[in-house]
Amino acid sequence: MGIIGDILIYILTGLVHWWWTANLSVFGVSPNIVFSAALSAAIIARPAKAISYCFLFGIYLDLLGSNLFGAYALTYTLMAYGIYMMKRHLDLIGPFSQIIAALALTVVTMLFYQGLSLALAKINPLQLKAFLVEPFLNAIAVPIMFYFFVQLKRRFNLL
Amino acid sequence: MNREKDMANYAVVFFVVISALLLLFPSTRVAQTVRIISSYSLYPSLHYGEKYDYFIRNVPQNFLNILKVDQENRTLTAMIKELEISNKTAESAMEENRRLTLEMGLSRNIQLKGVWARVVNKNPQDWYGAFFINKGSRAGITLNSTVVGFENGQVGLAGRVFEVYPDFSKVLLITNGVSSVICSLPGANFEGLAEGRGTWLLKVNYIPEGSDIAEGMELVTSPGGLLFPQGLPVGRVQKVHPKESFMNFITADVSPAITINALKEVYIVKKDLPPDLQGAVAK
Repeated sequence: MGIIGDILIYILTGLVHWWWTANLSVFGVSPNIVFSAALSAAIIARPAKAISYCFLFGIYLDLLGSNLFGAYALTYTLMAYGIYMMKRHLDLIGPFSQIIAALALTVVTMLFYQGLSLALAKINPLQLKAFLVEPFLNAIAVPIMFYFFVQLKRRFNLL
Repeated sequence: MNREKDMANYAVVFFVVISALLLLFPSTRVAQTVRIISSYSLYPSLHYGEKYDYFIRNVPQNFLNILKVDQENRTLTAMIKELEISNKTAESAMEENRRLTLEMGLSRNIQLKGVWARVVNKNPQDWYGAFFINKGSRAGITLNSTVVGFENGQVGLAGRVFEVYPDFSKVLLITNGVSSVICSLPGANFEGLAEGRGTWLLKVNYIPEGSDIAEGMELVTSPGGLLFPQGLPVGRVQKVHPKESFMNFITADVSPAITINALKEVYIVKKDLPPDLQGAVAK
């Protein structure tokens, strides 16, 4: 199953993200499924694999967007490494800690991405409504996504 | 543990370097085109506002033209749908205009003063009994005003105003079970009472035996009736029933001159009854 399972998870996550943003956005705002998947994968997977996952999830968002190419890849790679460091000191298995992590990391990644875009392309990609609402939507999505990923790991030994 | 830590460090350095390269070096023609293909396939939109020029950098013009044609196609498809809806609305308005023009012309010919009203509410449980119109006492409508309908160039009695409110009124149809109209055959010397039965047919009673009545004849309102102006078509005789042994008159089925349940507009005739008779009618 190994690599094929990983590819399937990647494609499936991308499809869900695409479908959700295309059909279930409310006032243009929806949870960032790819972010939730990246965060969950970073918590569950081993460090090197988690970083690879996050990099590829970032590339997927870069492909979809119209801004800097590689900005999400860099952001999520660093986020994965940050989570690897945090895991050694904090328990991120419980839903409460995941919600707090999702709230904090959504804001941090958005600001980091904003900084990169302004510095390198002078583009302002951040929308205020997304900045205000998305962290909370992600905080809901992350524990759910984490549960799915844990099930996949238990049943098919993926991630 | 140390090996895992090393792997993590190598991985993060590797991917950070890759990301930085992607960020710092301008995207190549091929990479940028692939990016736009994937992006456009999932979100078919080129409206990125101020980011548009940045987004399409390094992309061959002929490829962008294909995307623009696709955008134009989507816009035109949406426009066609809107035009189809507009077309249907216009057809409906034209049909209404044709019908109203015909009815207005007819109303001028019947030499009766009145106002037009729209049928605004019908009760499915009382389909042949009554309906509401959108004019009331503010428009000068009074109790027992005659209600006339038009259909295919034909004028016909529809009923009378039964209840009057400031902005709407209830019309009691001639097909209602409690409704009756004194009617006669033009040129004949007898009268009958056309009564509603709650269906699309009326029943005419009290026609003297031996009267000259036959299927297809047109009945009109009689001068003897107080409520309705004389000479308004009520309906056409559909079937004459033979006299029963226990009755001394004959009866006939009459189909109304107009299709009562298909009326959309009606003409309310303002008939000024003498005050004494108004009291009698109200009773």
